[in-house]
Amino acid sequence: MNKLKFTDLEKYSKTMADSGLNWIRVSMDTGGIAAGADTVCTIFEKGVGTLGFGVEVRRVGSLGYSFADPLVEIAREGMPRIVYGHVDDNAAREILEQHLAGRRLLDDHVLAWRNRSLAFDGPTTYILVKDTSTEKGDKTQFFQFSLAEELKRCNLQDKVQVVRALDMGVYDEGVAVQFLPSKVTYTNVLAPDIARIVKTSVQGKKVIDDLLYKKPDKQVRVVMRNCGKFDPENFQDCLRYGVYQGLVRVLSGMKPEDVIAELKTSGLRGRGGAGFPTWLKWQITRAVQRTPKYIICNGDEGDPGAYMDRSVLEGDPHSVLEGLIIAAYAIGATRGYFYIRAEYPLAVRRVEKAIVEARAAGLLGENILGSGFSFDAKVRLGAGAFVCGEETALIASIEGKRGSPSPRPPYPSERGLFGQPTAINNVETLAAVPAILVRGGAWYSEFGAEKSRGTKVFAVTGKVRNPQLVEVPLGVTLRDIVFDICGGVLGGKAIKAVQTGGPSGGVIPEHLLNTKVSYESLQELGSIMGSGGMIVMDQDDSMVEVSRFYLRFCVDESCGKCAPCRIGGYQMLQILNRVARGRGEKGDLDRLRAISKAMQKASLCGLGQTAPNPVLSALRYFEPEFKAYLEGGVSYARKMSAGRPAEPVAAEPANA
Amino acid sequence: MPPETVQPELPNQLNAWKDDEAALLESLEQIEQKHGFIPRHIAEEISRVLEVKLDRLRKLQTKVESNVRKEVDALVAKWKDEEGSLILILHEIENQHGYVPREIAMEVSHALGVKLARIYEVLTFYHYFKLKPPGRHNMAICLGTACYLKGAPAMLAEAKMHLKVEEGCTTPDREWHLDVVRCIGCCGMSPAMVVDGKTYGRLNATDVPRLIAQTTQPKASS
Repeated sequence: MNKLKFTDLEKYSKTMADSGLNWIRVSMDTGGIAAGADTVCTIFEKGVGTLGFGVEVRRVGSLGYSFADPLVEIAREGMPRIVYGHVDDNAAREILEQHLAGRRLLDDHVLAWRNRSLAFDGPTTYILVKDTSTEKGDKTQFFQFSLAEELKRCNLQDKVQVVRALDMGVYDEGVAVQFLPSKVTYTNVLAPDIARIVKTSVQGKKVIDDLLYKKPDKQVRVVMRNCGKFDPENFQDCLRYGVYQGLVRVLSGMKPEDVIAELKTSGLRGRGGAGFPTWLKWQITRAVQRTPKYIICNGDEGDPGAYMDRSVLEGDPHSVLEGLIIAAYAIGATRGYFYIRAEYPLAVRRVEKAIVEARAAGLLGENILGSGFSFDAKVRLGAGAFVCGEETALIASIEGKRGSPSPRPPYPSERGLFGQPTAINNVETLAAVPAILVRGGAWYSEFGAEKSRGTKVFAVTGKVRNPQLVEVPLGVTLRDIVFDICGGVLGGKAIKAVQTGGPSGGVIPEHLLNTKVSYESLQELGSIMGSGGMIVMDQDDSMVEVSRFYLRFCVDESCGKCAPCRIGGYQMLQILNRVARGRGEKGDLDRLRAISKAMQKASLCGLGQTAPNPVLSALRYFEPEFKAYLEGGVSYARKMSAGRPAEPVAAEPANA
Repeated sequence: MPPETVQPELPNQLNAWKDDEAALLESLEQIEQKHGFIPRHIAEEISRVLEVKLDRLRKLQTKVESNVRKEVDALVAKWKDEEGSLILILHEIENQHGYVPREIAMEVSHALGVKLARIYEVLTFYHYFKLKPPGRHNMAICLGTACYLKGAPAMLAEAKMHLKVEEGCTTPDREWHLDVVRCIGCCGMSPAMVVDGKTYGRLNATDVPRLIAQTTQPKASS
């Protein structure tokens, strides 16, 4: 590829990206491939040739709906866009036959649209229907049949198809229907409503107000703006979707100080967990006079249960690279590194490819886009050590040493990689940077609440109905995320707690789920936002087991350099093991608290300082469960933990 | 004095002995049982054969070693301009061999001028590097939080029972290596595991024996 100029980039971004009218996008991230997206994609590629009209098959990143992998999105001329989930080989063949050739949707595979509308903008051609309540007796089939019968009575059966949906994006709202292509959604539909739905809404194109579902979609996609839209390995597609437009804006006249000021306006804070203001980090690193300076993208996503960095690196590597180049320009760095887990081979491959393509196009290297600014980037692999997510340990690892943290100060901004000033930013932070520069810091800061501005991606997993990646503005409540977006607990059981922040975070009990998510609010509850893992636990999960699980993780991953973490963690684990076997002693819980305090105060790095958090927060909200082990032995405690909610009084002294 | 009956046995069996040490040992034990000792002419013959065999093995070893040296030299040359290249080199070795053999680590130490202890300091720190050869098939069960809550421990127990090994160990016949990993980033389809590089999701304990059988004889099951 020839070196690009500003005008080329502008031309690309103005070419219609979705110029083809018919296309199939198959989500090909690690999750999708594991679910069989590879063979599905091959079936499509072979099958489209026989259709007699042009259909483009694209391998794209993940849309985030992990529960329905493999995901396929389809556009067919004259039909609304449809996202299919759970597409196995048979479903893929049926999509070719029914959807693409026959213009009929498949039952039980369609995901309804989340960006619901409040008015009809044209005639309805498809109706999705699903019973969203968790009670026994699924009424979906009955409603599909009744709607179809009613349509037949009105002589509309050829114009409108009624389809059973896989997921409606609304939960516990009775029977829900969505009209396509207008995306109007009704909930709590009862059998007597069917006649008026067909008469008023399908024939009359008017909304029935008492059935209309008015809650807007809570998700906002900034970091994941491009995931699932184009093939991350197709450079020209990336350019057509506007990747590198942020860089264009920066290099066509902005001074590094202007970039930092724009980020200051945006209020973006580090998305790796600590929440340090990004602009401040850049300014401090910029202010140090020594050269060369380095910039590092931290993609060592070791927190079990979080996979948003992997998804972004796999689905949109060019945007992260763009963020890295902009960051380098702002701090005056000449070299950058991606530090990515070796356990993510696909992400590594795609980022490496992105770097090669960007270099060939003159977006990396000497004199980028003729601006006089030179910068190059490389990929370094992690090797399976959780502590390497800590910045000083990460630097040691890039230098080819054991990933042991070192005391701060000096901070990396002063003495980092190879002793030079270094800024380290998380994947998600860097992915947000280009969007901020294209649309402005003020736009970004409109999202969010108080000191936590913007959006954050959460990986909601565990005992949740629809595990998926969720990107929401900060300030929405945990309940919104778990219940409204992800559908609540799997199998309709009672929720016990939500764990955030992984091994450095804590559990948040059911009665505090109305907390607005922000860096500060979660810290007050004894947890942290962390990298964004959110694990739902139901009544069957024992909090003693869960805290033991996390503590064992931290003990395994402790690098052993400082005594509080190495010895304290091990001692805590011994005590917890003893308690869980029913052999606990009287002062054990106080002993746990005392060791925790020592670890928090005296450990060298974040790993040791936060390792007691899961235990402490479990003790704070679920002390009776621990006590049950001490007082009544194992089988008594198991029985107790299954039915017992957290004690609100103990947890919120202010309300008592 | 060796009885006459032994004499004719020797040439027939020798051919088999050349390639099969276990058979040789068995035959020797039989002879020992029969006579109470190993007749001298048989012992001499065996030593001669072994000498020839050892000589051949030594040649093989030198061949392999020079190969190792070439391989390591190529790697070092590839990364010589990189600062902190040790981990990168170890990554390539790990990916090629499935583990980091001691001979190669020693060769790297020579080539880079880094002490062997420094290399092992790094090797033992990171979970990704293995010091023992993997099995022919490798199973890694994810024990990330999501998988843990949704039944990964039961899957692990099942795998342990079927493969008859502990986690982190290889079966005596080197067929299977069982491992646990911390989150492979497939939490959306937990519980998950990786078998021979392919990820499987939404499993339960009963899937484990099926996966094992399917991997061991892929042709027979399909």
